[in-house]
Amino acid sequence: MIEVQELTKKYGAVTAVDAISFTAQHGQVTGFLGPNGAGKTTTMRMLTGFTPPTAGKALVAGFDVFEQSMEVRKRVGYLPENVPLYRDMTARGYLMYLAEIRGVRHRRDRADAVLKRVGLLDRADSRIRTLSKGMRQRVGLAQALLHDPQVLILDEPTIGLDPLQVLELRDVVRELGRDHTLLFSTHILSEAEQVCDSVVIINRGQIVAQGSPGALRGQLERGGRVLARIDTGRESQAAALEAIMALPSVASAQIAIDGIIATPARPEVDPRREIAQLVVEKGWGLTELRPLAINLEEIFLEVTRRQTGSDTQPEPVAAAAESEAVQ
Amino acid sequence: MTDQPMNMNVTRTDDTPLMEPVQIGASLAFWAVFKRELGVFFRSPIAYAVAFGVLLFMGVLFMDYIISNNGRAPAPTQQMPGLLTFLMFLIAPLLTMRLIAEESREGTLETLMTLPMNEGQFIFGKFLAAWAYYTVLLALTLVHLAILASIGVPDWGAAAGAYLGAWLYGGTCIALALIWSAITEDQIVAAFLGAATILVLYLSESLSTTLREQPNLSGVADFVRELGLQAHYGPTMLQGIVRLEDILYFVFMIIGALFITTRIVEIRRWRS
Repeated sequence: MIEVQELTKKYGAVTAVDAISFTAQHGQVTGFLGPNGAGKTTTMRMLTGFTPPTAGKALVAGFDVFEQSMEVRKRVGYLPENVPLYRDMTARGYLMYLAEIRGVRHRRDRADAVLKRVGLLDRADSRIRTLSKGMRQRVGLAQALLHDPQVLILDEPTIGLDPLQVLELRDVVRELGRDHTLLFSTHILSEAEQVCDSVVIINRGQIVAQGSPGALRGQLERGGRVLARIDTGRESQAAALEAIMALPSVASAQIAIDGIIATPARPEVDPRREIAQLVVEKGWGLTELRPLAINLEEIFLEVTRRQTGSDTQPEPVAAAAESEAVQ
Repeated sequence: MTDQPMNMNVTRTDDTPLMEPVQIGASLAFWAVFKRELGVFFRSPIAYAVAFGVLLFMGVLFMDYIISNNGRAPAPTQQMPGLLTFLMFLIAPLLTMRLIAEESREGTLETLMTLPMNEGQFIFGKFLAAWAYYTVLLALTLVHLAILASIGVPDWGAAAGAYLGAWLYGGTCIALALIWSAITEDQIVAAFLGAATILVLYLSESLSTTLREQPNLSGVADFVRELGLQAHYGPTMLQGIVRLEDILYFVFMIIGALFITTRIVEIRRWRS
């Protein structure tokens, strides 16, 4: 379990992490989501005891990261971003070296056990510089598992992997999440949605949203926009647009590539009924009418836009978000 | 070479070794660091290049020296250890420049500093490895002493003092040069500044002589002289005079330099 309270990190005048609070539960995968430079790595470095916080508090496995750093380190497995390794060592040699520093007994057996766990036992005696990027990632993951920690912190573990390796690594993350407290960071929204039980969205050092992917989606689906594809026959799409905009339940509408996107007047209103009636009255054909799927991508754009305060022109993202939702 | 599928044993069964509880005991982390680093030394070309260069240079001078002093007695034993200590401004930075700078540039320091090991153990292990390599190098130069013994009668007491001093002197230079490897990630910069630091401390005796010409600066001159490396070696241990204060000087210089290095690594970690 990781409990973070008002955790802050400043570098001189720059605030990299600004009083964030969140909790990562045991037996869950918690996704730490944000654009590059949002403060993900800095937060993880504070949680692993690498760099101390400027203010605030964090408990990892029940120990304070600042006051009881060594106790925290004994219980955390950490895969840093970019997976730093000793290129001239063999995979097994590297793991045995870290095991010795950690005081792990039966080092060779243990190194082989974690290599087997990540499916790399057959390359145990290869020098790390001869391993591919995906294999190095696995050596890094094996290193994090050496001492069977309660808490795993993985910083962008899927970065730089090919698509197949990414899928495999996500499976491993999900699997490990069942019996660990697993915090992993990513800037890929769909990844967080697929893997995480809980998501913390961070931007510019501040948490902008948190909850399960489902709950976050639910928050925004109320009052969500709908997409209507209307066969207007000889009339133009503009006429349909005008008619939809005139409906009392619709606040605004616009023509997108694959139909008309209508935004409801109030969050609790669903305009689909009125749109359907309208189409029937006009004698048009309704080929499609559905809520515009909302995924983490949209949630993310929504919350980061709210935070930056530039609420001016949100609509053009709809089509992009839509296409991602379809896949 | 292609990647095989990851096949990460997603369904764990009871016979996988991972199910056994991991036994974790006390660890001598510095010893692990020391062993690894010493291994790296003896696999790296720089260790052999340094040994080759030093022994070649010393061998040529030794031969020249034997020829020009042919037949004189007693066979002076301080020439070679004295030369080695002079060369420390080259040797020590070459040995230490990589030790911390590389770890912090490659990012491996981040992994190490999230293990249950403090900076002190890490630095001490690194230092010991470089000093152990230097000890081997120093032992190789005993061949000159053996040659002297075969052609003359060396003063064994003086030789013992000179070699003990050279050992401590070398350790101090290594500890001093190590500071710079912690400060900068650039190995060349670390080596250059390490060399400069050792040269300044080597030459501080002549600086002290210059300062003494100013009557009101004699206190400063004494301090500068005592701070320098040569004042505690050249006139004393190199001649076979082993004084406790000289040994303490080297020991405290090593401890002080390692302490500074530890603090620097800690501060850099705080800022990262």
